[in-house]
Amino acid sequence: MTEPNQINPPDVGRINSARRQLLIRGAKAAASIAAAVGVARWLYDPKGLGAKKVPDTFFGEVKGLPDFSVPRKDGQVISIVQGQDRAKTASKAIELLGGIERFISPGDIVVIKPNVGFATPSILGATTHPDVITAVVKLCYEKGKAKKVIVTDNSINDPASCFTISGISKAASAAGAEVVMPKDSYFSPLTLEGGSLIKDWPVYCAPFAKANKLIGIAPLKNHHRSAASMTMKNWYGLLGGRRNVFHQDINNIIAELAMLIKPTLVILDGTVTMMTNGPTGGSVSDLKKTNTMIASCDMVAADAFGSSLLNLKPADLPYLSIAEKAGVGAVDYESLKPLRAEVI
Amino acid sequence: MYLLSRRAPHCFALRSKAWGRARTLESAVGVLILLILVATAVGIYFVQRDYNMSRFGITSEQESGGDFLPVGKAETYNTDNLYEKIDGKAPMYQEAGFVKLTTQRFAAKSDSELGFELYIYDMNNAKNAFSVYSRQKRADATDLSDLGAPASPDSLASRGGSVFGYVAGNAICISLGKNYIEMIGSAESNELVDGMKGIAKDLSAKFKPTDKDKIAELGYFPTACGEQGRTEGTVAGSWKLQIDNAFGFDGLTNAYSALYKSGDKTVSIFFSRRKNADEAKTVAKNYYDFLITNGAKAVTVDSEILKSAGASVVDFYGAFEMVFSTGVFVGGVHEADNKQAAEKAAEVLIGRLKEIND
Repeated sequence: MTEPNQINPPDVGRINSARRQLLIRGAKAAASIAAAVGVARWLYDPKGLGAKKVPDTFFGEVKGLPDFSVPRKDGQVISIVQGQDRAKTASKAIELLGGIERFISPGDIVVIKPNVGFATPSILGATTHPDVITAVVKLCYEKGKAKKVIVTDNSINDPASCFTISGISKAASAAGAEVVMPKDSYFSPLTLEGGSLIKDWPVYCAPFAKANKLIGIAPLKNHHRSAASMTMKNWYGLLGGRRNVFHQDINNIIAELAMLIKPTLVILDGTVTMMTNGPTGGSVSDLKKTNTMIASCDMVAADAFGSSLLNLKPADLPYLSIAEKAGVGAVDYESLKPLRAEVI
Repeated sequence: MYLLSRRAPHCFALRSKAWGRARTLESAVGVLILLILVATAVGIYFVQRDYNMSRFGITSEQESGGDFLPVGKAETYNTDNLYEKIDGKAPMYQEAGFVKLTTQRFAAKSDSELGFELYIYDMNNAKNAFSVYSRQKRADATDLSDLGAPASPDSLASRGGSVFGYVAGNAICISLGKNYIEMIGSAESNELVDGMKGIAKDLSAKFKPTDKDKIAELGYFPTACGEQGRTEGTVAGSWKLQIDNAFGFDGLTNAYSALYKSGDKTVSIFFSRRKNADEAKTVAKNYYDFLITNGAKAVTVDSEILKSAGASVVDFYGAFEMVFSTGVFVGGVHEADNKQAAEKAAEVLIGRLKEIND
């Protein structure tokens, strides 16, 4: 006899069947989840954007950025030239440091890194002026006897428009340089030893793979976040990924970039300075003629001097002292005895 | 047994009913999910398809006064990717309430090298738009009076300030309701400026500000210099609004500032309306403490009016800073070269804010 709480056999069968169904469905769901996790794990790339795409067929493999600097010569570290004609002042500034032959040797492959961050015309001063590009590319070829000059930047918003509208593409090509636009495959994850921000972060590396010299050419600008954008901030353009996250720690990222990248030479174009509303500007009213060109093997010194053209003091730019402490350069540019000249 | 045999059919019926309900529920949930997916797809379609500029009042016939044509498609940016377009300036917009940016390039029919780019920043409300407009206003700007830009704080108070615009060299900038608009020309050219003004008029007609766009606070400044023959007063058009972190102090929000001219001296005056008088007092004290913490030295107040208002003056590395509270307002003077001029301007500002309090 079946007790009142007992279930009769047909019910038991149904319940068992339902239990089986539940277990089967549960197993299927678990298998699906496990498969999804497995695929995700298989696809997961701990090295970040583009890591598996390097080496590139054109540039070859890059495992980091080499040291592009040349031996230091005391008394020939920084030059400051007054004048309005960018081609003349840039040439003179390099000449004062010993001439382009000091920096570029026959057969060198040179990368020039201008600021091509915006698709704006050169009259706005937000990007490197094409006249400086022309002058430096010509010097590299004609006097330095470079084998190849590459002009490149990681313009995040429509690089083709940035290079075209800024006039840099036309100027560089006309002077014989190769213009290289960024691609995903040109980025490699890099880590700055001892750094707190650049850790496995995608950096625009591939165009430097076969180069042995690097020249940074930056406009002199006010910057909403960092107060100034000059030669050190120019390297920010090499960062890939969602680099805007570094705006929250702008001084440290600029200093870390300066530690990571060891250029041959930097040129700071203060012919016209963007005094307000940087880094984009937008109106010629933001600009002031300051008629100064700076060339330097020490980017901290170059930027420390550049701050004066923005009516700032070096102390207003914390990244300068951070970089100095890290041994990148000297904030007290006067101690380097800048070489000065004026070009009419 | 009897009980079971009586109950079993009932149980089966209940279970069948329950399973039926479950199936119905499953179907309903399925349909609901499908509806949500369809609604999402429709939403995405409508957002994505809206790439032309007609929604901004710029029709194909009107485009840039007829002399300029759009080049390429309009682009849109949101808070996630704004930095791709304006990089280091993105945080300023985001901190001021940015929602969306739409851009469109235009080129002259006669010369493809001559052109401009239109930027329309949706800033969510008129105050946010005015904030980014005023903070970037160029010193040599010429007001665009034909857009209804106000001539003085007094006229703002009566008409309601909600449209502001200026020309600066190759650029036109406008604060129009919730939108901050820039047109950046590729050259300094009258033809270009005329073309941009055509677009500006189209936009003004499309986005007619409403009463909620009125920035009444601009009318709280003292009467404008030049109004009714006055030789001293607020410098019209010098207003600025900092939504947060005014003068580097994160406790000072929604701070309106303007230049005040007295004789040959000009100082910057400011105020911020708080929830109540207690909060105003607290903010004033905190701002004073912030200045002292950062190296300011307290200075004696000479003006009896300011003394009675409890105003504080400090010497901040050679510049005078003043702060007080009156009613619901925190007010003061920022970076004044001259203490007497600062005190005089502060007296006038206190008087004006007391009128508003009353």
